[in-house]
This record gives sequence, structure tokens and C-alpha cells, in this order.
Amino acid sequence: MSAAAEHSIPSSVKIAPPPAELEREPLVLQNRSIGWISDHIAGICEGEAPKWWLPALIMSVSLMTMMFGCIAYLIATGVGVWGLNQPVEWAWDITNFVFWIGIGHAGTLISAILFLLRQKWRTSVNRAAEAMTLFAVACAGIFPVIHVGRIWYAVWWLPPIPNNYDIWVNFRSPLLWDVFAVSTYGTVSLLFWYTGLIPDLATMRDRATGKVKKFLYGFFALGWTGSNRHWSNYEKCYLLLAGLSTPLVLSVHSIVSFDFAVSQVPGWHTTIFPPYFVAGAVFSGFGMVLTLLIPLRTLCKLEDIVTVRHVELMCKVILATGSIVGYAYGMEFFIAWYGGNPYELAAFKNRAFGPYWWSYWWMISCNVICPHLFWFKKLRTNMVFVFIVTIFVNIGMWFERFVIIVTSLHRDYLPSSWGYFRPTWVDVCTFLGSFGLFFTLFLLFMRYLPMIAISEVKGVTPQADPHHPQGGAKHGGHH
Amino acid sequence: MKFIPPVCPEPETGPQYFRSPEAMANSAQLQEWAEREFPAGASELTVAESRRDFMKLMSASFMLAGFGLTGCRRPTEHIYPFGKQPEGYIHGIAQHFATAMPTRTGAIPLLAKSSDGRPTKVEPNPLHPDQAGTDQFAQASVLGLYDPDRAQHFKKDGKIAKRVEALDALALISKSAAANGGRGLAIIAESNSSPTRARLQAAISAKFPNSVWANYDAVDSTIHTQAASLVSGKQVTHYFKFAAAKRILSLDCDFLGSEDEMYRYTRDFAKGRKISKPDSAQGFELISRLYTVESLMTLTGFSADHRVRVAPSQVAAVAAQLAAEVLKQGSSSASLNTVALAAGAKVDAKWISECAKDLVAHKGAALVVAGRGQPLAVHVLAHAMNEVLGAFGKTIELHDAPKSAANLAAAVGAETVVVLGANPAYTASETWNQIAKTAKTVVHLGSHEDETGKGASWHLPAAHYLESWGDARTSDGTVVAIQPLIAPLFAGLTESEVLGHLLGNPTANSYALTRETFPSLTGGALDEEKWKKFLHDGLLEGSKANAVSGSFNWTAVSTAISLATAAPAPSKDKLEVVFHRDASVDDGRYSNNGWLQELPDPITKLVWDNAVLISRETATQLGLKNGDVIAISANGRTVEGGIWIQPGMADFTLGLALGYGRKWGRIASFEDKSVGFNAYPLRTGTAGFITGASAKTTGRTHPFICTQDHWTLHGRPVVREANVDQFLKQPDFAKHMDLDGHTEFLAKNPDGSIKNIYEHPYKANPELASKSHQWGMVVDLNACTGCSACVIACQSENNIPIVGKDQVSKGREMHWMRIDRYYAADPKKKPQGGTVDAFLSNATGSQGNPNTVNLVERDELQATKKWIDDPQVVTQPMMCQHCESAPCESVCPVNATAHDDEGLNVMAYNRCVGTRYCANNCAWKVRRFNFFDFNKRPIGGGKMADTFFKLDIGLYKGPAGVRPGDEVDIISMARNPDVTVRMRGVMEKCTFCQQRIEGAKISQKVKAGASNDVVVKEGAIQTACQQACPAGAITFGNILDPNSAVSKLKQQDRNYSVLGFLDNKPRTTYLARIRNLNPLMPDAKIWTVEEYRSISDPHFMAEPAAEGAKKGVKH
Repeated sequence: MSAAAEHSIPSSVKIAPPPAELEREPLVLQNRSIGWISDHIAGICEGEAPKWWLPALIMSVSLMTMMFGCIAYLIATGVGVWGLNQPVEWAWDITNFVFWIGIGHAGTLISAILFLLRQKWRTSVNRAAEAMTLFAVACAGIFPVIHVGRIWYAVWWLPPIPNNYDIWVNFRSPLLWDVFAVSTYGTVSLLFWYTGLIPDLATMRDRATGKVKKFLYGFFALGWTGSNRHWSNYEKCYLLLAGLSTPLVLSVHSIVSFDFAVSQVPGWHTTIFPPYFVAGAVFSGFGMVLTLLIPLRTLCKLEDIVTVRHVELMCKVILATGSIVGYAYGMEFFIAWYGGNPYELAAFKNRAFGPYWWSYWWMISCNVICPHLFWFKKLRTNMVFVFIVTIFVNIGMWFERFVIIVTSLHRDYLPSSWGYFRPTWVDVCTFLGSFGLFFTLFLLFMRYLPMIAISEVKGVTPQADPHHPQGGAKHGGHH
Repeated sequence: MKFIPPVCPEPETGPQYFRSPEAMANSAQLQEWAEREFPAGASELTVAESRRDFMKLMSASFMLAGFGLTGCRRPTEHIYPFGKQPEGYIHGIAQHFATAMPTRTGAIPLLAKSSDGRPTKVEPNPLHPDQAGTDQFAQASVLGLYDPDRAQHFKKDGKIAKRVEALDALALISKSAAANGGRGLAIIAESNSSPTRARLQAAISAKFPNSVWANYDAVDSTIHTQAASLVSGKQVTHYFKFAAAKRILSLDCDFLGSEDEMYRYTRDFAKGRKISKPDSAQGFELISRLYTVESLMTLTGFSADHRVRVAPSQVAAVAAQLAAEVLKQGSSSASLNTVALAAGAKVDAKWISECAKDLVAHKGAALVVAGRGQPLAVHVLAHAMNEVLGAFGKTIELHDAPKSAANLAAAVGAETVVVLGANPAYTASETWNQIAKTAKTVVHLGSHEDETGKGASWHLPAAHYLESWGDARTSDGTVVAIQPLIAPLFAGLTESEVLGHLLGNPTANSYALTRETFPSLTGGALDEEKWKKFLHDGLLEGSKANAVSGSFNWTAVSTAISLATAAPAPSKDKLEVVFHRDASVDDGRYSNNGWLQELPDPITKLVWDNAVLISRETATQLGLKNGDVIAISANGRTVEGGIWIQPGMADFTLGLALGYGRKWGRIASFEDKSVGFNAYPLRTGTAGFITGASAKTTGRTHPFICTQDHWTLHGRPVVREANVDQFLKQPDFAKHMDLDGHTEFLAKNPDGSIKNIYEHPYKANPELASKSHQWGMVVDLNACTGCSACVIACQSENNIPIVGKDQVSKGREMHWMRIDRYYAADPKKKPQGGTVDAFLSNATGSQGNPNTVNLVERDELQATKKWIDDPQVVTQPMMCQHCESAPCESVCPVNATAHDDEGLNVMAYNRCVGTRYCANNCAWKVRRFNFFDFNKRPIGGGKMADTFFKLDIGLYKGPAGVRPGDEVDIISMARNPDVTVRMRGVMEKCTFCQQRIEGAKISQKVKAGASNDVVVKEGAIQTACQQACPAGAITFGNILDPNSAVSKLKQQDRNYSVLGFLDNKPRTTYLARIRNLNPLMPDAKIWTVEEYRSISDPHFMAEPAAEGAKKGVKH
């Protein structure tokens, strides 16, 4: 310390701030101090819950209970309680699965890819986004499990467990790849999220008042003391996990897309699916992150940490991925025509103009038209507007999966077998209920764990920059 | 012959080994078990308590389609091994007995399969000279045997009575009739060909000369006999020989569908349509040609090369014109005054003259047939043409027929009425009411306690034909045996037994009565050896009827024609109504049969319903759309039913299927709602059609459930066809119609075959393939008529459950095979399409403009399009294709569906978790998923689920949900023990009847012994569909054997794979359909192969060049 003191700049020297046009908008506004950040973020979990929290939780839990009720009914009775039928053997079940998996993509993308790319703005949103990923994966995981006809055998026969008949799983099946892809993704996401949480858990432990809280936070903080060795190990581990997660961002939805691309159903059997699914997943994931964070930043008064700039940046990601998705839609049609396969062309004509034409145009309006509004800065900085658009992005992406799955299946090769799918109340309630599960988990998360990565945000405050006039240890050292 | 295990007479010697204390004691139970003919339970069911239990425990016949791996009626309490194996009995190996199912005009010779004492399947008797399959009714009759709603009690005035009392009542009737010569006694029976019945009938009329014997059939075919007798001057009936006919004209005669004997006609007709090789020398003589004049769209219309649709009353006029033309062109010396009758026929004169020309050109090989519903004049005109065409003796034979009996009205006024089998209270309520008014005693022998049975003083349960002894004559006169495979489940009586009792024989039993008739059939005394052979073969060899020759009575023909008057053409206000025999319920007798109710109608593909069939034009003029309920009134009577727009219907004609709208029965009036509506009240007598009806809308709609919503092929060459001349020019045309016909751009191997990215699994790993057997199937689309007997055969063989109307509406029918039916239109009639307006009308679901085509057709708008008025129709049996590179196999995550070494795509049901991915990836959509426990639970979910929770179906109780008592035993009786009963959540599909394959392989291995001759011999295996198919359209066999029938068919040029371009390499292939259009006919829609590709595509836009493709100008 003494050496540092010797080299410290005399107070008489004035350092002029960089010219305004070179100044980046700070990631934390209002010169919030490091102490304020700790207090403010940890404060969400401490003290009394905000007034809206309990009613929101009750509603979510009710929805979740409804879903589990539906699932119990489904398992007790048969998959026929859904509206599935002969040509359309998958409908809302797999639509919901792909929808939720897609939502999960934003978290890993933000936490892993943006981390590797040194995008510092990720720190304000990554924790919530990662949590959202986990909860979305949990919601997603339910559907492929319950959609099977005999769940009591599926749990035994889908994982590659050796049995006395020497029957092995079928490694050629994309559904099996799904099992691996989704479980790997879920596991790595959980580890990544938990690793990132450790320093903040320690903060929570240190601030905790009750014994139980202190014990639990302490237990999960794994004895974190904030020593240099801890930080060094932590950073290495985090980097490694980020590297491990990055390919998963691309792989999991590519593999989910193989469920369709590997088949021979016209409208499914296309090579464009993997990149298009990944882009769509990121698109929907960012949509959902914004849907969650825009109200939260107001409700929890986080405007200085989750700033308008954050929202704007995410809108740009939505714009970019939305354009990719729109391009893919167009390219599918082009290839269907250019490929000269009449069955393929018929499938796409049917998609746009057939009995499910309304779902297709819902998808186009939400996914292709909506994001292009974000070309306008005025619109993407208008929080209410962005919130509404992200809702439509979510709706559009659900319809995308519905369109791919149902419109392709309901009219495939032999016109004799063409049919129509109508959902039943069990379909609808199971899907709505999955939002209950999602929001229940999220509400519990925001109430009991720091919703924003405290330690990381501190690192990107303007003051954290050693060159900042108020930065570094110049005034008062570490907080 | 039934084998009764003999009791070992002499004491066993040597050391004795016992397997149980009972065996050591040689207990009475064991003795009884060894001795009794039928397993325990069969004969005990006559005891009242037991019967009540039975009634309680049994559920509807869908449950009989049910659950049960036990699959036998052996006593579950005490099972002992045979101390000494009875000779000829091997446990688990089914036995087959020859029998026959009696029909109105003949019988279907059968070989019934007995699985451990219970009949489980019927198959055609291969020894019978007809060599035909069966119809759907015969296949479904097995379920009828185990129908829980069958009459189970003798009843007096609706109350359960003892059997003895009922027999006493019959004796009393006999006694009083004997006293007064039968005055006041009327017997109403259905037509029947049984020699025993004829003998007893004669005995009745001899003993009771004053009694009345009335024959009554709701679907009456006696007109055929009447016409044949009239023109020949002898008491004869017709015997059509379609196989010998090169040119056939059908005058409203649905000989491939609703006519009696359709199964034999179909086989004969198919013989004339099969092609072994493209023989250019034969030209249009290659196959037969069928001209049809009809009002409804029928299976015959499906197969017709030239078809005109006219209202039923106008058939006579067309027949008169045709007859006049045939007489003229055939330079017949006879003359008929047909001018008056022919007036008003609105058929192209060229159609008439060219058709007549073609017929005359085939003298001796032409046949004209008239339909059962048509009046006498049409029949005699048909025979007049037959006479000119030299058909008698060649394509039509006359056989002796019994004298016709009185009709139902003759029974009016009788004091005592005995009804044998018929159900006049339902099918002829007006006449029956008159009879019932004066009758003091009504005795009803019926399989069900139906409308007549409920009102009868005495109701006697009738024995099923599989429970009866009897005899019958098939249409060619051959006497066939009816043998029981099981003791009557409900102690029912046969018709002959009732007649025996009426004749005063208190111990009459059908076995003795049948035996007594036998000597008169063989001549001389009863020859035990002949009798044994009769029972073994199921038929009496050499009893075929001889053709009767007679001089054609032109005068009678003239008289009959002059008595007929030309009917005015129908109009919007004066509609005509056709009453047709239903393909599912016949005249109503099968309306409680779940298999038949769920069988998609071969024409409309509707299930669990009948509809008012109507043409597009009529519906438009009446302002109706599909499903509207209309009230049809005629002669002061009205019935109401929903309409179904049927392509190819005659205008201003309504088609009403008989036999629906029942008020009883778990299936017939499912959940207390009648299935369909009752058309009988509108009918006068047994008329085939009525005129002058009016229709008005009721404002209500009826939900119809159709298993094939989409009518057209959408330009997809799934069914491939060409006309004879194009086929002769380019025999392998079928191979060039789909994407796989364009391989010029694909990379090739040095040997010219297409280079695949992945090698064929059998080529890559030759050790995986069996060197003995590789199974394959060929379906000849030229033979298939679409009759759907195969669908029921498959259901019966493979334990396929029914699911109920509600579940079919959700697309969850379980049939492993289906008959796809597509309509095709003349490309020249195709309208332009694809406009924005068309899209908008599609999007909004408005009726649409009949002159435009929607960009993407919506199912409900099909019925508004003009092109459906005169469609061509094709049918295609569709079942698992057993692809060599099966798309279903690669996507199953748990390896539940896999390939075996003999080329079968097999399902391991136990391994299936039901991801349904396989079904999604199947391009043919032949996989079926068991969404609920259709085998285990009642349709509709039972009362609690339905009433209180309004849930889809009852809750599943899991393994704990055991059915009470021995219900499982009962409902499993119709089950094939060789086939797994699948539970819910499991995917299932056609297996090529793997159980039969394995059975044949095992028996061949047993035969082979030490030798290595394990290859199953050609013909040893028939799949259930193949066996039942009356047309012989399905061939199955070993494709490794180059001489097998299936290999030879696969060598044919017409052979193609449906969706072959997907490179899944299906083992099921199809032989392209060949039409035989007469290029001179005005309606000859002779199209190029390219046009055939697009005929079914509503978006086909005729290019200017295609307009030049005039008839006769090809390529």
C-alpha cells in the first residue's frame, strides 16, 4: 500500500475528464456508490416483501398447481386428454417444449458469450437472465417427459441404463440427443449460475440477520471469504464454465431443431433449421428477459443499474436475431420453390394459406414485423413500448413452433390422412400452468437471491475504473 | 369336425406319476374337465343367477373388443394338465372347422377358427369352388357372437321366463294349429337358402295347410328371381358370371357393394380386371369394361369405366333406350315397344348407342345386370338385352329356385304370429302394427330383444350361426354345412328348432334336423362317411346347381314393359329417395356391432352414422350445406337427417341408408343417443326408392365424422392409373409418375443404380438379412373395389379396439389398415384458381365460388366445387409399408420399433414409451396410437366421468383398477390369443400378421425335422386382409422366392411404391390401376399420363396444349 501511496497523484493535479463524445454512457447511473449497490440489490431480498410480491406469488403458485393437476390427470388418464390425433401426434406439448427451451437461450448467451466477448453491460442482467434460463429449462423439461404415452417406462428407458434384456437406447434418434442436450444444458447452466452466485451469497451471508438465513447463505457460499486466491480460482472457473457453455448455446437448440430436421416430414426436413432455431431462441430469450426486467427495474427501483442503455442494447439483439429469423422464413419458401419438390412446396403453401394460415400470419407479424420497429431509437428507449413488443415477440415465437410442428404434420404426404388439430382445455391449462411454474420460481428467486450480480456490477461502475476521477481506491479504498 | 377328447377306457399300466392330488384321486372335477365338450361356463350360463351375473358383468361389445391375455374359457379355478393328451389336440394351437354364414340368398362358406373352444375368427373356406373371400359382415359376425346385448333370456311379455315354459308355449301353438290345420297361424321368416328350412317349411304347410308362411326381408332381393322366372317361364333365379363377361352394363345394380353375394361378384369381377402382362394384341380386350347407370355413388360406380348418374326412376328410361339400341344393333328379330318408357331419358344419345355397340360387339361375353331396387321392367329389359347379347348360358346361368312365398302383408289377421329372425316392428312398422293389432300371440325368435322382440308375447333368444347346426346353399347351389363351434352362450334356439317344435317335436334339435335333411341331398339313406366328409369339408361336393335352359319369353317381357310407365324427371320439389342397404349395419341387423359401426363407410368414409346423401347441385338449389338437418316428407310421412354432399350423386336424389336410429343397444344407441336416423318410416313396403318427396331445412345441424376429410389426391401420384391403350404403349408408366421417375440428375453407381449417401442396410451388412425369407406384399389396385372387408378382418385378427364416435372425430381410430378413397375430376373441367378472392373465401370459410379454386383447399369447401359432380374414383388399401429403410425406426429413442432379418418392421410393444415420433415420421400415416386404454375402458369414460366431471374419459386406475369378477374372461372371448392386446400409450400398426408368419415358420420347422427345409412354402401364409379380400387384390409372400406369386407381381411393369422417392424402400408395393375407357364414348376421359398425374389436383390449371388432348389423342 505504501508503494501505491508514493505513486499516487498529488491532489493538486487536475485530470480533465475525456471529451463528452468519447465518454461512454456509464453502466451504472447517478454515480451510485459501491455501498449503494450492495444495499440496494441485497435489500430486495431483505426486509419486507414489496406489496405486489405475495399476490403475484399466490397467482403463480395457483397456476403452477393447475399445471400439476393437469399433468396428474394426463398421466392418470392418457395422452388423449390433449387434442392430439392421428396426423398431428405432437402439438402443444412439443411446441411448449421448444418455446421454453428457446427462452432459456438468452441467459447462457448473455452469461457466456457476452462474457467471453467482454461485453460489460451483461453484468446488470446476467444473473436474472441465467435464473430465467434455469426456470425455462425446468418448464421445458416437463413437456417431453409428460408427452410420452407411458411415462413410467420412459424414465427408465430413455436414459442409457443397461438392462437385463441388453436393449440399448437408440442413438440414431434425435429424441435421445435431446435427452443429452437438454440435460447437459440444464446442468451446465445451473453450475454456471451457481458459481456466479457464490461471491454474492457470501455478501448475503455477511448481511444476514437471522440464524437460518445466515446458515443457508453461508452453506451455499461455500466458505467464500473474498480472498485473492478465491477470486483467482473463481475467475478461472467462471471463464472455463463460460467456455463450456458457449458451444451449448449453439448446440442445444440445434439439437432440438434436429427433432424436426432429421425427419422426412415436408416443412421439417430442412437444413436451415439449426441456425434458424438458434437465432429464434436468442430472439425469444431476449424477448423474455426484457419482459421480466422492464417491470422489475421499475418495481425494484433498479433504473440506475438496469439502465435504458441496457434495454436498448438488448433491443438491438432482438432486432438482429429477428432479422435472421425473418430471413430464414423467406429462405424456407425460396428453397421450397427452388428445390422443385412439390410436396415441400405444398407444405409451405399450406403453412401460409392453409387452414392454419392465421397462426402463420401471427408468427410473421410478431417475429418479422415487430422487431423492425426497433430501428427507431425513440421506440427502443420507450420502456412501455419495448415491453409490449417483447410480449409480441414471445407470442410470435410460440406461434413459430406451433406453425412448424402442427402445420407440417397436419397435411403431409397422403391427402387421405390429412387432419386438423384443436387443443383441449388440458392443453391450454398445462401451457398456462407452465408460466405459473416459471413465475413461481422467478419470484422466489428474486426474493431470496440477489437478482443482479452485485460483485460484477461493482466492477463495471464508473468508479471501478482506476482512471475515473472518483475511481478505484482514490477515495477511501475498498468498500 | 369337432373332436371330443376320449376318456381312456382301460386302466393305465406301469408306474403312475401324478402332478397334483386331484390327479391322483382322479377326482370328479378332473373327470368332468376331461369329458365335457365345452369349457366350464359355456353351458352353465343358462342358469338364471349365472345369466344375471353375466349380464351385469359384460359390458358393451366394444369391451369385447377388449382386454384379456388369458384369452380362453378354461376354468381359472382348477387347471389340470391333461393326464393323457387327447389325440389331435395341442394346447394353444387353434383348430379350424368348416361352417358357413347364412345370408338371405345364399351363404358364405367359412372356415372358423376355434381358439381353445371359442370361435375367434372366420376365414373363407378354401375348399369351396367360389374361392372367394368374405364380406365385412361375416368378418364382424365373430363380435356379434359375443355381443353383450344379445337376447339372453326367454321372455314372456317382457318378463324373464323359463326355457321350458317357452317350449311348452310352442307345443301349445303346435297343438292348436294341428287341431285346425293351422288356421290363424302365420310364420314370418327371412329368406334363407337352407335345405332343412325348406324341408321344415314344406312339412309345416303339409301339416298346417291353412297356415300362412310369409317371407320378409327388409332388403328384398326377390325381384331378381321374379324377373328371371318371368323371362324364362320357369321358377328360376339368376347366377351371374362376371368373370366370363368382357363388357358389363349395370343398371343401378351395386353388385360390388350392396347386392347380396357381393363377395362372389367381386371375386369374379376382379378376375376379369386383373392383368398378368401387357398383351398389346388384346388392346381394349385386355380387361373387362364396366358401364354403370346409377343414382347413388356406389362401389360399382367406383369401379366403373363409364358411369352416368340418373335418378332411380330414370334408370328405366335409360334401360329402355339401351335395350332398344341393343335390339337394333344386335339385329334381333324380337321387337319391344320401349318408346313410351324411354321417353325423357336425359342421357347423351351417343352414350347409349356407343355403349350398346360395345355390348353387341361382345356377344356371348357381355352381361347386363339390374339392381335389386329397380322395378321389374328394368330387370326384364336387362334380360332382354342379355338374350340378344347371348348372355344366357355364358355370362348368366339360371338355376332352379324355390317357389316364392307370400309377403308380410299376408300375415295380417293371423291370431298367432311366429317371427323367425326378422324384425318387422322396426323395418316395416306400418304393416307390423296391423299384424300386431289382431295377433293374440306373437312369438319372436331373435338374436336381440329388438323392437319386435320387446312387443312380443314370447321372445326366444336365437342362436348365433356359430352356435348352430344347419345347412345352406351358396349362390351356385352348393350345399354347405353350418356347424357350431361353441354351445349356445345363452341357450338360444335355432330357426329349425323352433320349426321343429311347431311341428310338434318336443325334442327338436338342430343337429338331428340337419342330419335328417342330409339323405335327401345325397340321395339314398344317410351315409355316415358322406356326412363326416360334409362336415369336414363344409360342403357337399357335386351339389352345384345345374343350369336350367329355357326359351326366352318375349311376350312376358313386352307385357312387363307395357305395364311400366315413364316417370317424370325429379326436381327440387319432387325429390326421389333411394333406400340402400348400409355397408355397416346391413338392414339394421348389425347396428349393435361396434366393429361395423366404426368401419368407415366405403363410399362416404363416415363412421357411426347414416346421412342423407345428396348431390352438390341439389344441395345448392335447396340452399343446404354439409351437415344441415333436413326433414324429408313423402306420402305424409317424414324423417329427419343430416345431409352429406356426395360426389357423383344423381341430382334431386337423396340416398338414405337403412338400419340406423335404433332405440336400444349399447352400440346401436350409444349413450342413449340413437346412432344415425331411422329411414324406414319413409319407405313404402320394401321399395328400393320412392318419388315425389320434398325436403325442407330444420335449421339444425348434425356433426358427421368422416375419416377422410380430404377428397382429392392434390396432384400427388399416390394412386397411379392409366387407360388400357396408354398402358400397352408404355407398360411401365407408373414408374415415371412421381419424383422417383426423375433420377437423371442423381449420381449413379457404375452399374447404373442410384448412388445413395448411405448404403442399404442389407447391402452394408448382408449378415443381417435372412437367406430364407424376405416378406413382401403387393396390392393390385385394379382389383380393389374398396369394399373394406379387409379392414374388419384385420380388426378381428389383430385385436384392434374400437374407440367410439367422439374419438374418431379426434382422428384416433385404431384401424391398422384403411381404404383410402380419392375422387378425381376431368382436368378439362378444372376451373381456374389461386386468386386472391379464392384465398379470401378460403380464409373466411365462406361457401366459395364453385368456379374458382382456393389457393389451398379447405376441406369444407370441397363440397361446393362443380368438378365433384362426375368424378372418377380410386381406392387404395393402406397399411404399414414395411420399409426396408424405415423412417419410423431411426427416430424411436428407445428402440421399440426395429427391423427384423426377414424385412419386417416390428414393434416391441413392451418397449414402447409412446413418444409418437415414429408416427410423425411415417409418410403413410399408418401407425396408430392408443391414446386411452381403448381395450380396457368403456368408451365415453363411464357414468361418473361423463356425468359429474365432463371429462374426456374415465380416470385410469392403474394396475389396481381390476375389473370385477370374471369380466375379463368374458370380454376376452373374441380375442385372438396369438396377438398381444396393447395397452394405452403404445404405438401399434400392421405387422403383416406376424403371428401367422411365425406359426407357419414353426410348423415348417416341425415338418422339416432333421432336414434343412425350413423355407415356408408358397401359400402357407395368408395375411388376414389377403384372406378376407373378396377381390384377391392383396398378395403376400416371400420375395426371395422368384416363383412366389408376390415376386411375380412385383416383376410386373405396373408395380410401383407409394412415395418411393423418399427412398424408404417399402416392401408393400402397388400395381397401378388400369381403366378401360371406350374412346368412342362421349364421356371418355382418356387422359395422358401427365394428365392423370394432375387429374386429382384442384389447382391444376389446364394449359392451352392440354386442351388439345382430345379423346383418343394421347401424348
